[in-house]
Amino acid sequence: MITHAEDAADQHVEIALISEQQAIVPDQKFILGIRFDLQEGWHTYWINPGDAGEPPRITWELPAGFQAGSVQWPYPARLSTPPFADFGYEHQVLFPVTVRPPSGLEAGGNEKIVAQVRYLICRDVCIPGQKQLVLTLPVKNRTTAGLDAALFAAARQRLPRPIPNEWRVSASSVGDEFQLRLRVVGKLTAPPQFFPLEPEQIENAAPQNITPIPGGVQLHLKKSNHLLKPISRIKGVMVVSGRAYLLDIPVSESGRVHTQSMKN
Amino acid sequence: MKRNLGYGLVVVILFACFAKAQRVGEPAPDFQATDSNGQVHKLAEYRGKFVVLEWHNNGCPYTRKHYESGNMQRLQKEWTSRGVIWLTVISSAPGQQGYVTAEQENEYLKRMNAVPTAALLDPQGGVGRLYAAKTTPHMFIINPEGILIYDGAIDSKATTEQSDIATATNYVSQALEEAKAGKPVSTPTSRPYGCSVKYAH
Repeated sequence: MITHAEDAADQHVEIALISEQQAIVPDQKFILGIRFDLQEGWHTYWINPGDAGEPPRITWELPAGFQAGSVQWPYPARLSTPPFADFGYEHQVLFPVTVRPPSGLEAGGNEKIVAQVRYLICRDVCIPGQKQLVLTLPVKNRTTAGLDAALFAAARQRLPRPIPNEWRVSASSVGDEFQLRLRVVGKLTAPPQFFPLEPEQIENAAPQNITPIPGGVQLHLKKSNHLLKPISRIKGVMVVSGRAYLLDIPVSESGRVHTQSMKN
Repeated sequence: MKRNLGYGLVVVILFACFAKAQRVGEPAPDFQATDSNGQVHKLAEYRGKFVVLEWHNNGCPYTRKHYESGNMQRLQKEWTSRGVIWLTVISSAPGQQGYVTAEQENEYLKRMNAVPTAALLDPQGGVGRLYAAKTTPHMFIINPEGILIYDGAIDSKATTEQSDIATATNYVSQALEEAKAGKPVSTPTSRPYGCSVKYAH
Protein backbone atom coordinates (compact mmCIF):
# COMPACT_ATOMS: atom_id res chain seq x y z
CA MET A 1 0.00 0.00 0.00
CA ILE A 2 1.24 3.47 -0.85
CA THR A 3 1.56 5.58 2.24
CA HIS A 4 1.83 9.28 2.94
CA ALA A 5 5.17 11.02 2.98
CA GLU A 6 4.77 11.33 6.76
CA ASP A 7 4.53 7.59 7.12
CA ALA A 8 7.48 7.03 4.82
CA ALA A 9 9.68 9.26 6.99
CA ASP A 10 8.41 7.37 10.04
CA GLN A 11 10.06 4.22 8.76
CA HIS A 12 13.50 5.77 9.15
CA VAL A 13 13.24 7.84 12.31
CA GLU A 14 11.64 7.55 15.73
CA ILE A 15 10.72 10.83 17.38
CA ALA A 16 9.72 11.17 21.01
CA LEU A 17 8.81 13.91 23.49
CA ILE A 18 10.60 13.21 26.76
CA SER A 19 11.10 14.94 30.11
CA GLU A 20 14.27 15.36 32.14
CA GLN A 21 12.36 14.85 35.37
CA GLN A 22 9.45 12.62 36.26
CA ALA A 23 7.07 15.34 37.38
CA ILE A 24 6.34 19.04 37.10
CA VAL A 25 7.08 20.90 40.35
CA PRO A 26 5.02 24.07 41.04
CA ASP A 27 6.90 27.30 40.31
CA GLN A 28 9.92 25.50 38.83
CA LYS A 29 10.88 25.51 35.21
CA PHE A 30 11.59 22.11 33.68
CA ILE A 31 13.27 20.75 30.58
CA LEU A 32 11.56 18.75 27.87
CA GLY A 33 13.29 17.30 24.85
CA ILE A 34 12.46 16.20 21.34
CA ARG A 35 14.53 13.12 20.64
CA PHE A 36 15.29 11.86 17.13
CA ASP A 37 16.55 8.31 16.69
CA LEU A 38 17.60 8.00 13.07
CA GLN A 39 18.24 4.86 11.10
CA GLU A 40 21.81 4.34 9.93
CA GLY A 41 22.56 6.56 6.93
CA TRP A 42 19.82 9.14 7.64
CA HIS A 43 20.25 12.59 9.08
CA THR A 44 18.25 15.63 10.13
CA TYR A 45 19.39 19.23 10.35
CA TRP A 46 20.82 21.95 12.56
CA ILE A 47 19.23 25.44 12.77
CA ASN A 48 21.38 26.41 9.77
CA PRO A 49 21.16 23.31 7.60
CA GLY A 50 24.02 24.29 5.30
CA ASP A 51 23.80 23.74 1.56
CA ALA A 52 20.52 21.79 1.56
CA GLY A 53 17.85 20.57 3.94
CA GLU A 54 15.71 22.14 6.62
CA PRO A 55 15.77 22.21 10.44
CA PRO A 56 12.92 20.64 12.44
CA ARG A 57 10.15 22.99 13.52
CA ILE A 58 8.19 22.49 16.70
CA THR A 59 4.77 23.91 17.54
CA TRP A 60 3.57 23.51 21.11
CA GLU A 61 0.09 22.99 22.47
CA LEU A 62 0.56 23.65 26.16
CA PRO A 63 -1.82 23.70 29.12
CA ALA A 64 -3.10 27.19 30.03
CA GLY A 65 -0.38 29.46 31.40
CA PHE A 66 2.56 27.22 30.42
CA GLN A 67 5.31 28.79 28.30
CA ALA A 68 7.90 27.01 26.18
CA GLY A 69 11.25 28.63 25.38
CA SER A 70 12.97 28.30 22.06
CA VAL A 71 14.53 25.08 20.85
CA GLN A 72 18.16 24.68 21.85
CA TRP A 73 20.44 23.27 19.18
CA PRO A 74 23.30 20.96 20.13
CA TYR A 75 26.26 21.62 17.86
CA PRO A 76 25.99 19.63 14.64
CA ALA A 77 28.22 17.37 12.61
CA ARG A 78 29.55 18.55 9.28
CA LEU A 79 27.94 16.22 6.74
CA SER A 80 30.08 16.40 3.69
CA THR A 81 29.05 15.15 0.26
CA PRO A 82 31.23 17.11 -2.16
CA PRO A 83 30.56 19.63 -3.59
CA PHE A 84 28.21 20.18 -0.64
CA ALA A 85 28.36 20.37 3.12
CA ASP A 86 25.30 20.19 5.34
CA PHE A 87 25.13 20.68 9.11
CA GLY A 88 23.07 18.15 11.00
CA TYR A 89 22.77 15.05 13.06
CA GLU A 90 23.06 11.33 12.48
CA HIS A 91 22.00 8.47 14.77
CA GLN A 92 20.54 10.36 17.74
CA VAL A 93 19.94 13.95 18.76
CA LEU A 94 17.99 15.55 21.59
CA PHE A 95 16.70 19.12 21.30
CA PRO A 96 16.10 20.53 24.81
CA VAL A 97 13.38 23.11 25.46
CA THR A 98 12.76 24.89 28.76
CA VAL A 99 9.13 25.11 29.90
CA ARG A 100 7.75 27.35 32.64
CA PRO A 101 4.54 26.42 34.43
CA PRO A 102 2.18 29.21 35.46
CA SER A 103 2.70 30.54 38.95
CA GLY A 104 0.28 29.13 41.46
CA LEU A 105 0.07 25.72 39.81
CA GLU A 106 -0.89 23.18 42.47
CA ALA A 107 0.34 19.64 43.00
CA GLY A 108 -2.02 16.74 42.46
CA GLY A 109 -3.10 16.94 38.84
CA ASN A 110 -1.72 15.86 35.47
CA GLU A 111 -0.71 18.12 32.61
CA LYS A 112 -0.86 17.13 28.96
CA ILE A 113 1.75 18.61 26.63
CA VAL A 114 1.53 18.27 22.87
CA ALA A 115 4.29 19.02 20.36
CA GLN A 116 3.75 19.09 16.61
CA VAL A 117 7.03 18.39 14.89
CA ARG A 118 7.68 19.05 11.23
CA TYR A 119 10.98 17.75 10.01
CA LEU A 120 13.07 16.62 7.08
CA ILE A 121 15.30 13.58 7.02
CA CYS A 122 17.68 12.80 4.19
CA ARG A 123 19.97 10.02 3.07
CA ASP A 124 20.60 10.11 -0.69
CA VAL A 125 16.98 11.29 -0.93
CA CYS A 126 14.95 13.52 1.39
CA ILE A 127 11.61 12.83 3.06
CA PRO A 128 9.57 15.42 4.96
CA GLY A 129 7.65 14.20 7.98
CA GLN A 130 5.19 15.42 10.53
CA LYS A 131 4.48 13.95 13.93
CA GLN A 132 2.27 14.77 16.89
CA LEU A 133 3.90 13.91 20.20
CA VAL A 134 2.04 13.77 23.51
CA LEU A 135 3.45 13.67 27.02
CA THR A 136 1.45 13.69 30.24
CA LEU A 137 3.29 14.60 33.43
CA PRO A 138 1.97 14.64 37.01
CA VAL A 139 2.34 17.79 39.12
CA LYS A 140 4.08 16.96 42.39
CA ASN A 141 5.80 18.88 45.14
CA ARG A 142 9.06 17.05 44.54
CA THR A 143 10.42 14.95 41.75
CA THR A 144 13.37 12.81 40.70
CA ALA A 145 15.33 12.54 37.50
CA GLY A 146 13.58 10.73 34.66
CA LEU A 147 14.94 7.72 32.83
CA ASP A 148 16.42 9.95 30.13
CA ALA A 149 18.31 12.34 32.43
CA ALA A 150 21.65 11.13 31.05
CA LEU A 151 20.53 12.03 27.52
CA PHE A 152 19.72 15.56 28.66
CA ALA A 153 23.10 15.87 30.31
CA ALA A 154 24.77 14.73 27.08
CA ALA A 155 22.74 17.18 24.99
CA ARG A 156 23.65 20.01 27.36
CA GLN A 157 27.32 19.24 26.79
CA ARG A 158 26.80 19.96 23.12
CA LEU A 159 25.00 23.30 23.55
CA PRO A 160 27.00 26.43 22.74
CA ARG A 161 28.12 28.50 25.70
CA PRO A 162 29.59 32.03 25.89
CA ILE A 163 33.25 32.40 25.04
CA PRO A 164 35.38 32.42 28.21
CA ASN A 165 36.45 35.92 29.25
CA GLU A 166 40.12 35.08 29.10
CA TRP A 167 40.03 33.98 25.46
CA ARG A 168 40.84 36.40 22.67
CA VAL A 169 38.85 36.06 19.50
CA SER A 170 38.88 38.37 16.49
CA ALA A 171 37.85 38.33 12.85
CA SER A 172 38.95 40.14 9.75
CA SER A 173 38.00 40.20 6.10
CA VAL A 174 40.97 39.57 3.82
CA GLY A 175 40.35 39.11 0.11
CA ASP A 176 38.02 36.19 -0.47
CA GLU A 177 38.22 34.89 3.08
CA PHE A 178 37.38 35.69 6.66
CA GLN A 179 40.14 35.02 9.14
CA LEU A 180 39.15 34.06 12.66
CA ARG A 181 41.91 34.36 15.23
CA LEU A 182 41.51 32.33 18.34
CA ARG A 183 43.71 32.49 21.41
CA VAL A 184 42.44 30.10 24.03
CA VAL A 185 43.56 29.18 27.50
CA GLY A 186 44.62 25.53 27.53
CA LYS A 187 45.61 23.14 24.82
CA LEU A 188 43.64 22.49 21.65
CA THR A 189 42.98 18.77 21.38
CA ALA A 190 41.50 18.99 17.89
CA PRO A 191 41.33 21.55 15.08
CA PRO A 192 38.59 24.10 15.84
CA GLN A 193 35.56 23.96 13.59
CA PHE A 194 33.26 26.85 12.72
CA PHE A 195 29.55 26.42 11.98
CA PRO A 196 27.98 29.58 10.55
CA LEU A 197 24.68 30.75 12.01
CA GLU A 198 24.04 33.12 9.12
CA PRO A 199 23.38 31.07 5.98
CA GLU A 200 25.26 33.15 3.44
CA GLN A 201 28.44 34.40 5.05
CA ILE A 202 30.80 31.54 4.18
CA GLU A 203 31.04 28.69 1.68
CA ASN A 204 29.83 25.74 3.72
CA ALA A 205 31.78 23.12 1.81
CA ALA A 206 35.13 24.93 1.64
CA PRO A 207 37.86 23.45 3.82
CA GLN A 208 38.51 25.45 6.99
CA ASN A 209 42.28 25.68 6.88
CA ILE A 210 44.07 26.36 10.12
CA THR A 211 47.39 28.15 10.53
CA PRO A 212 49.30 28.78 13.77
CA ILE A 213 49.61 32.32 15.18
CA PRO A 214 51.44 33.33 18.38
CA GLY A 215 49.41 31.95 21.25
CA GLY A 216 46.71 30.40 19.12
CA VAL A 217 45.38 29.51 15.72
CA GLN A 218 43.81 31.20 12.76
CA LEU A 219 40.88 29.71 10.81
CA HIS A 220 40.52 30.57 7.15
CA LEU A 221 36.87 30.68 6.06
CA LYS A 222 36.07 31.14 2.39
CA LYS A 223 33.50 33.86 1.77
CA SER A 224 30.19 32.85 0.24
CA ASN A 225 29.86 33.88 -3.38
CA HIS A 226 26.41 35.15 -2.36
CA LEU A 227 28.06 37.78 -0.21
CA LEU A 228 27.78 40.96 -2.25
CA LYS A 229 28.51 43.49 0.51
CA PRO A 230 30.91 43.56 3.45
CA ILE A 231 29.51 42.19 6.70
CA SER A 232 29.94 43.93 10.03
CA ARG A 233 29.71 40.83 12.23
CA ILE A 234 30.33 37.14 11.83
CA LYS A 235 28.08 34.81 13.74
CA GLY A 236 28.39 31.12 14.39
CA VAL A 237 29.20 28.28 16.70
CA MET A 238 32.86 27.43 17.20
CA VAL A 239 33.69 23.94 18.36
CA VAL A 240 36.95 23.87 20.30
CA SER A 241 38.25 20.68 21.88
CA GLY A 242 34.80 19.08 21.83
CA ARG A 243 32.91 22.04 23.32
CA ALA A 244 30.80 24.58 21.50
CA TYR A 245 31.01 28.35 21.92
CA LEU A 246 28.74 31.04 20.57
CA LEU A 247 30.63 33.52 18.46
CA ASP A 248 29.19 36.87 17.40
CA ILE A 249 32.03 39.30 16.79
CA PRO A 250 32.81 42.31 14.62
CA VAL A 251 34.70 41.81 11.37
CA SER A 252 37.45 44.28 10.57
CA GLU A 253 38.33 45.02 6.96
CA SER A 254 41.57 43.78 5.35
CA GLY A 255 44.44 43.60 7.73
CA ARG A 256 43.16 45.95 10.42
CA VAL A 257 42.45 43.57 13.23
CA HIS A 258 39.77 44.28 15.74
CA THR A 259 40.52 42.37 18.92
CA GLN A 260 38.23 42.42 21.85
CA SER A 261 37.79 40.67 25.09
CA MET A 262 34.67 38.57 25.04
CA LYS A 263 32.29 39.77 27.70
CA ASN A 264 28.83 38.34 27.81
CA MET B 1 16.36 2.82 -29.74
CA LYS B 2 19.11 4.72 -31.46
CA ARG B 3 17.10 7.89 -31.15
CA ASN B 4 16.61 7.36 -27.42
CA LEU B 5 20.33 7.15 -26.92
CA GLY B 6 20.86 10.26 -28.95
CA TYR B 7 18.41 12.24 -26.90
CA GLY B 8 19.71 10.94 -23.61
CA LEU B 9 23.23 11.94 -24.48
CA VAL B 10 24.06 15.46 -23.58
CA VAL B 11 27.00 17.42 -24.74
CA VAL B 12 27.97 20.20 -22.44
CA ILE B 13 30.64 22.57 -23.54
CA LEU B 14 31.96 24.88 -20.92
CA PHE B 15 33.31 28.19 -22.05
CA ALA B 16 33.86 29.80 -18.71
CA CYS B 17 36.73 29.75 -16.33
CA PHE B 18 36.40 26.85 -13.87
CA ALA B 19 38.29 28.44 -11.04
CA LYS B 20 35.80 31.18 -10.30
CA ALA B 21 32.23 30.58 -9.23
CA GLN B 22 29.54 32.65 -10.85
CA ARG B 23 28.57 35.78 -8.97
CA VAL B 24 25.62 38.14 -9.20
CA GLY B 25 26.56 41.29 -11.07
CA GLU B 26 29.06 39.48 -13.28
CA PRO B 27 28.59 37.89 -16.72
CA ALA B 28 26.77 34.55 -16.48
CA PRO B 29 28.99 31.72 -17.75
CA ASP B 30 27.98 30.45 -21.16
CA PHE B 31 27.01 26.83 -21.69
CA GLN B 32 25.57 24.53 -24.29
CA ALA B 33 23.17 21.70 -23.49
CA THR B 34 20.62 19.48 -25.22
CA ASP B 35 16.96 19.53 -24.28
CA SER B 36 14.43 16.70 -24.02
CA ASN B 37 13.55 17.14 -27.72
CA GLY B 38 17.14 16.83 -28.84
CA GLN B 39 17.52 20.52 -29.54
CA VAL B 40 20.75 22.22 -28.53
CA HIS B 41 20.58 25.43 -26.52
CA LYS B 42 23.42 27.84 -25.98
CA LEU B 43 23.02 30.56 -23.37
CA ALA B 44 24.70 33.17 -25.59
CA GLU B 45 21.92 32.73 -28.18
CA TYR B 46 19.49 34.28 -25.73
CA ARG B 47 21.36 37.54 -25.37
CA GLY B 48 18.73 40.30 -25.50
CA LYS B 49 16.27 38.34 -23.38
CA PHE B 50 15.90 37.51 -19.73
CA VAL B 51 16.75 33.88 -19.00
CA VAL B 52 15.60 31.91 -15.96
CA LEU B 53 17.43 28.72 -14.97
CA GLU B 54 15.45 26.34 -12.74
CA TRP B 55 17.24 23.33 -11.23
CA HIS B 56 14.86 20.39 -11.13
CA ASN B 57 14.44 16.91 -9.60
CA ASN B 58 10.95 15.46 -9.99
CA GLY B 59 11.29 13.26 -6.87
CA CYS B 60 12.48 15.97 -4.50
CA PRO B 61 9.77 17.06 -2.03
CA TYR B 62 10.67 20.74 -2.51
CA THR B 63 10.35 20.45 -6.29
CA ARG B 64 7.09 18.56 -5.83
CA LYS B 65 5.80 21.35 -3.57
CA HIS B 66 6.09 23.80 -6.45
CA TYR B 67 4.85 21.45 -9.20
CA GLU B 68 1.99 19.67 -7.42
CA SER B 69 0.64 23.06 -6.35
CA GLY B 70 0.95 24.33 -9.93
CA ASN B 71 3.13 27.21 -8.74
CA MET B 72 6.10 26.47 -11.00
CA GLN B 73 3.88 25.99 -14.05
CA ARG B 74 2.14 29.32 -13.34
CA LEU B 75 5.52 31.05 -13.17
CA GLN B 76 6.68 29.37 -16.38
CA LYS B 77 3.48 30.35 -18.18
CA GLU B 78 3.48 33.93 -16.97
CA TRP B 79 7.13 34.68 -17.65
CA THR B 80 7.48 32.89 -20.99
CA SER B 81 4.37 34.77 -22.16
CA ARG B 82 6.22 37.97 -21.24
CA GLY B 83 9.21 37.06 -23.37
CA VAL B 84 11.41 35.37 -20.78
CA ILE B 85 13.37 32.23 -21.70
CA TRP B 86 12.78 29.60 -19.00
CA LEU B 87 15.22 26.70 -18.94
CA THR B 88 14.56 23.82 -16.56
CA VAL B 89 17.86 22.02 -15.90
CA ILE B 90 18.09 18.42 -14.68
CA SER B 91 21.54 17.59 -13.30
CA SER B 92 20.67 14.29 -11.58
CA ALA B 93 23.18 11.60 -12.57
CA PRO B 94 21.98 8.25 -13.96
CA GLY B 95 20.79 6.06 -11.08
CA GLN B 96 20.13 9.09 -8.87
CA GLN B 97 16.81 10.60 -7.87
CA GLY B 98 15.41 12.84 -10.58
CA TYR B 99 17.42 11.37 -13.45
CA VAL B 100 15.20 11.09 -16.52
CA THR B 101 15.53 10.08 -20.13
CA ALA B 102 14.29 12.51 -22.77
CA GLU B 103 11.07 10.48 -23.17
CA GLN B 104 10.45 10.40 -19.44
CA GLU B 105 10.97 14.15 -19.19
CA ASN B 106 8.60 14.85 -22.08
CA GLU B 107 5.99 12.62 -20.48
CA TYR B 108 6.49 14.49 -17.17
CA LEU B 109 6.20 17.93 -18.77
CA LYS B 110 2.97 16.87 -20.45
CA ARG B 111 1.48 15.24 -17.35
CA MET B 112 2.33 18.25 -15.15
CA ASN B 113 1.32 20.84 -17.78
CA ALA B 114 4.77 22.32 -17.35
CA VAL B 115 5.70 24.91 -19.97
CA PRO B 116 9.37 25.88 -19.69
CA THR B 117 10.98 27.06 -22.93
CA ALA B 118 13.01 23.84 -22.71
CA ALA B 119 14.09 21.15 -20.25
CA LEU B 120 17.85 20.67 -20.47
CA LEU B 121 19.27 17.24 -19.68
CA ASP B 122 22.54 17.59 -17.78
CA PRO B 123 23.28 14.10 -16.39
CA GLN B 124 27.04 14.79 -16.30
CA GLY B 125 26.30 17.82 -14.11
CA GLY B 126 28.45 20.17 -16.20
CA VAL B 127 25.95 23.03 -16.30
CA GLY B 128 25.06 22.47 -12.65
CA ARG B 129 28.66 22.61 -11.48
CA LEU B 130 29.35 25.61 -13.70
CA TYR B 131 26.62 27.52 -11.86
CA ALA B 132 27.32 25.86 -8.50
CA ALA B 133 23.66 24.80 -8.43
CA LYS B 134 23.11 23.44 -4.93
CA THR B 135 19.48 22.54 -4.54
CA THR B 136 16.28 21.66 -6.31
CA PRO B 137 14.86 24.09 -6.91
CA HIS B 138 17.74 26.58 -7.26
CA MET B 139 16.94 29.58 -9.43
CA PHE B 140 19.15 31.89 -11.49
CA ILE B 141 18.19 34.90 -13.61
CA ILE B 142 20.32 36.34 -16.40
CA ASN B 143 19.48 39.74 -17.86
CA PRO B 144 19.43 40.67 -21.57
CA GLU B 145 23.06 41.84 -21.31
CA GLY B 146 24.10 38.39 -20.10
CA ILE B 147 24.69 39.48 -16.49
CA LEU B 148 23.63 37.23 -13.64
CA ILE B 149 21.08 39.21 -11.61
CA TYR B 150 19.65 36.61 -9.25
CA ASP B 151 21.04 33.48 -7.59
CA GLY B 152 19.04 31.74 -4.88
CA ALA B 153 15.78 30.29 -3.65
CA ILE B 154 12.51 30.34 -5.52
CA ASP B 155 10.81 32.08 -2.58
CA SER B 156 11.15 33.13 1.02
CA LYS B 157 9.63 30.09 2.76
CA ALA B 158 12.03 27.17 2.95
CA THR B 159 9.54 24.39 3.55
CA THR B 160 7.93 21.48 1.72
CA GLU B 161 4.41 22.72 2.44
CA GLN B 162 2.28 23.95 -0.44
CA SER B 163 0.27 26.12 1.96
CA ASP B 164 3.35 28.32 2.44
CA ILE B 165 3.48 29.39 -1.22
CA ALA B 166 0.67 31.94 -1.00
CA THR B 167 2.32 33.90 1.81
CA ALA B 168 5.92 33.63 0.57
CA THR B 169 7.72 36.34 -1.39
CA ASN B 170 8.58 34.87 -4.79
CA TYR B 171 12.12 36.08 -5.39
CA VAL B 172 12.10 35.14 -9.08
CA SER B 173 9.00 37.15 -9.96
CA GLN B 174 10.16 40.00 -7.76
CA ALA B 175 13.56 40.14 -9.45
CA LEU B 176 12.07 39.90 -12.96
CA GLU B 177 9.49 42.61 -12.24
CA GLU B 178 12.15 44.91 -10.82
CA ALA B 179 14.68 44.27 -13.59
CA LYS B 180 12.08 44.70 -16.33
CA ALA B 181 11.11 48.05 -14.78
CA GLY B 182 14.75 49.10 -14.87
CA LYS B 183 15.12 48.96 -11.09
CA PRO B 184 17.86 47.24 -9.13
CA VAL B 185 16.97 43.78 -7.86
CA SER B 186 16.15 44.17 -4.16
CA THR B 187 16.99 40.58 -3.24
CA PRO B 188 19.78 39.51 -5.63
CA THR B 189 20.84 36.45 -3.60
CA SER B 190 19.20 34.19 -1.06
CA ARG B 191 19.95 30.79 0.40
CA PRO B 192 18.58 28.31 -2.13
CA TYR B 193 16.50 25.73 -0.30
CA GLY B 194 15.63 22.18 -1.18
CA CYS B 195 17.25 18.80 -1.79
CA SER B 196 20.88 18.74 -2.81
CA VAL B 197 21.41 18.39 -6.57
CA LYS B 198 22.10 14.70 -7.21
CA TYR B 199 25.39 14.98 -9.07
CA ALA B 200 27.46 11.97 -10.11
CA HIS B 201 29.88 11.09 -7.32
